[in-house]
Amino acid sequence: MSVHDSTESQRAPRVLVVDDEPQIVRALKVLLREAGFEAVPAETVSEALDLAAVRPPEAAIVDLVLPDGDGIELTRSLRAWSAMPILVLSAVGEEEQKVRALEAGADDYITKPFGARELIARLNAALRRAARGEDEPRIEADGLEIDLAARVVRRDGQPVHLTPIEFDLLRTLARNRGRLMTHRKLLAEVWGAEYVDDVQTLRTHIARLRAKIEPEGPAGAAGGHRLIVTDPGVGYRFAE
Amino acid sequence: MSSPLGSLLASGQPPRRAGVIAALFAVALSTLIVYPLAQVAPVASLSVVYLPAVLVLSVTWGAWLGIGTAILSAAAFNFFHLPPVGRFTLHNSSNWVALAAFVVVASLASSVAEVTRARTRDAEERRREADLAAEMARLLLRGDDLAEALPTAASRLAHTLELSSASIEMEAVEADERSVAFPLREGTRRLGTLLVGAGTSEANLRRLQERVVPALEALLSAALERETLLGGVVETAALRRADTVKTALLRAVSHDLRSPLTAISAAGEAVGSPSLLPEERAEMASVIQEETRRLARLVDNLLDLSRLEAGAAEPHREWTAVEELIRAAVEEVGAPSGAFALSIDPDMPLVSVDPVQLERAFVNVLENAQRHSGGHPVSIRARAVRQLSAARAPAGAGGAGRQEGSRPTGDRVIVRIVDRGPGIPPAQLERVFEPFYRAGTPGGGHRGSGLGLAIARGFTEANAGWLHVESLPGQGATFVFELPLGDPAA
Repeated sequence: MSVHDSTESQRAPRVLVVDDEPQIVRALKVLLREAGFEAVPAETVSEALDLAAVRPPEAAIVDLVLPDGDGIELTRSLRAWSAMPILVLSAVGEEEQKVRALEAGADDYITKPFGARELIARLNAALRRAARGEDEPRIEADGLEIDLAARVVRRDGQPVHLTPIEFDLLRTLARNRGRLMTHRKLLAEVWGAEYVDDVQTLRTHIARLRAKIEPEGPAGAAGGHRLIVTDPGVGYRFAE
Repeated sequence: MSSPLGSLLASGQPPRRAGVIAALFAVALSTLIVYPLAQVAPVASLSVVYLPAVLVLSVTWGAWLGIGTAILSAAAFNFFHLPPVGRFTLHNSSNWVALAAFVVVASLASSVAEVTRARTRDAEERRREADLAAEMARLLLRGDDLAEALPTAASRLAHTLELSSASIEMEAVEADERSVAFPLREGTRRLGTLLVGAGTSEANLRRLQERVVPALEALLSAALERETLLGGVVETAALRRADTVKTALLRAVSHDLRSPLTAISAAGEAVGSPSLLPEERAEMASVIQEETRRLARLVDNLLDLSRLEAGAAEPHREWTAVEELIRAAVEEVGAPSGAFALSIDPDMPLVSVDPVQLERAFVNVLENAQRHSGGHPVSIRARAVRQLSAARAPAGAGGAGRQEGSRPTGDRVIVRIVDRGPGIPPAQLERVFEPFYRAGTPGGGHRGSGLGLAIARGFTEANAGWLHVESLPGQGATFVFELPLGDPAA
């Protein structure tokens, strides 16, 4: 049987898997168990809400297209009473729905078809983030130090001067490390609700911020940035 | 202006002969009226009695008759009333002055009345032309079809201008002996031709050329412009619809291809798990097999659909037994035994169809029925229907010469596929055959691609058959195939 059963006294974390494709659910069940989770399958929005209410899971994986509604509604309903990490499964061509799901409170998305390793990694990252909370006073990543309380940022020990808005942007991203923040979410938190459509402003500030804080030397994969990663058309994520 | 005078002024000019008679009568009457008045007033001052007659006559018949009446009045006054009575000579020179003054005043009054009359007639004409223009604008600019509105507009024109005939043509037309042609242009572009009857008066022709033709040209030009714009709007709407279909296609393909791929990839990874139980290994293997088949079916469907939409689904007809097609289709669906209950009449005649296309059509309808049947068996009934010889259509008419998509009327084979699912609401009966349309499936379950029924209908119609659905909500659905007997190609 599974390693967890014999060595750990605590039970495996429960993951609600909401997808109406029984074949996918059957395969995910095996994969999640292998990674130390217990999958709780649900086919519909109403079944998922019932199951989540009876025994709240630690996380949820939600397909965007469901027979009696969509993953966005379900995300919103779950988010209304639970802070558990929610991952949405989407397909290419569902960009708009993906963004709406993220805005409804989903933590991340995975595009079908996905590799099991990627799914598990995202799930673990989301769970770690949830356990960590948002109370870290100091954040360190790749030679960058952020002292949230003192509003001080250091790059390799040298202080970096940031404008107030750049600092707020960095703080919002860093406090949600690893989490995909949509353009609208960032704009609403840093600039205010009336600026949610001003993506160009956000791009400009992200570019300035990157110039000040990204480490020198080889960039990340595919020439991308290491600290603030772009998710094209969706938003940005601060490196885990 | 009082209304009787107004109506006199407004009406056209009455016949001249009536005017002369009226003038004689009016002068005689005025002369008679002067007799009693002469007892109480100086005779020389009574010439005014003739003035109303002069005014009325000049207003009604024009200045010339007015002036004539004035001279006649002067003569009658002189002859009957001014001394010496009974002669045209006068004793008193002051009476000459009075008479001359009367003629001058009466003539002037006549002229003024004539001018007023002409102005009124002019105003009336303009009013009618304005009414006509408004009416034509309404007819030409508001209708859906310009070609349909033209005869009505022309008859309105003929009626208003009292023309014997009028027509508006959307092309250059030469005048013949029975008509006069006015070319209608916008700049150098020829818009059409206005034809009026050859008997039209000079005045009316001038009026047409000066005032009606320019208005008509402007209206026609606007109407043509509007038609072009409307055509553009219709075309845009069609393009937008085609775009929507393409977007739906992309989305459907994206989702429907990715779901089986995801299942296959996840099951493939799961097979490598060290903790996999033997029964799970078998389960994962079946997931991979089932999803691979589903993927292949979807690719087939997409190819079929694109072939149908491109009109490239030319059937290769063979004489085929419907029973064989149905049994092959049931096998292809791969359902557990008992999922389908067959009831096929013995001695069914052969049909001339493309067996591959028809089998695909049956497979798609059977899969759909099974998917919605909620686990109940789906019944398949097939029988041949023969018309009585008297009512029989000409040989082969069941197929040949018939429009695609219409119901065969002659001898035919009918296959009914009956499920016991939730049924289809009346509003969705035809929509289920639209590509990418998916009926809501309460309770979830495996959804189809939304292509199967569209393809089934496409192939059935390509083979001169007919496929439709009957359903009452809550009572299941019945898909009915009708295939003509005889050789449709004959």
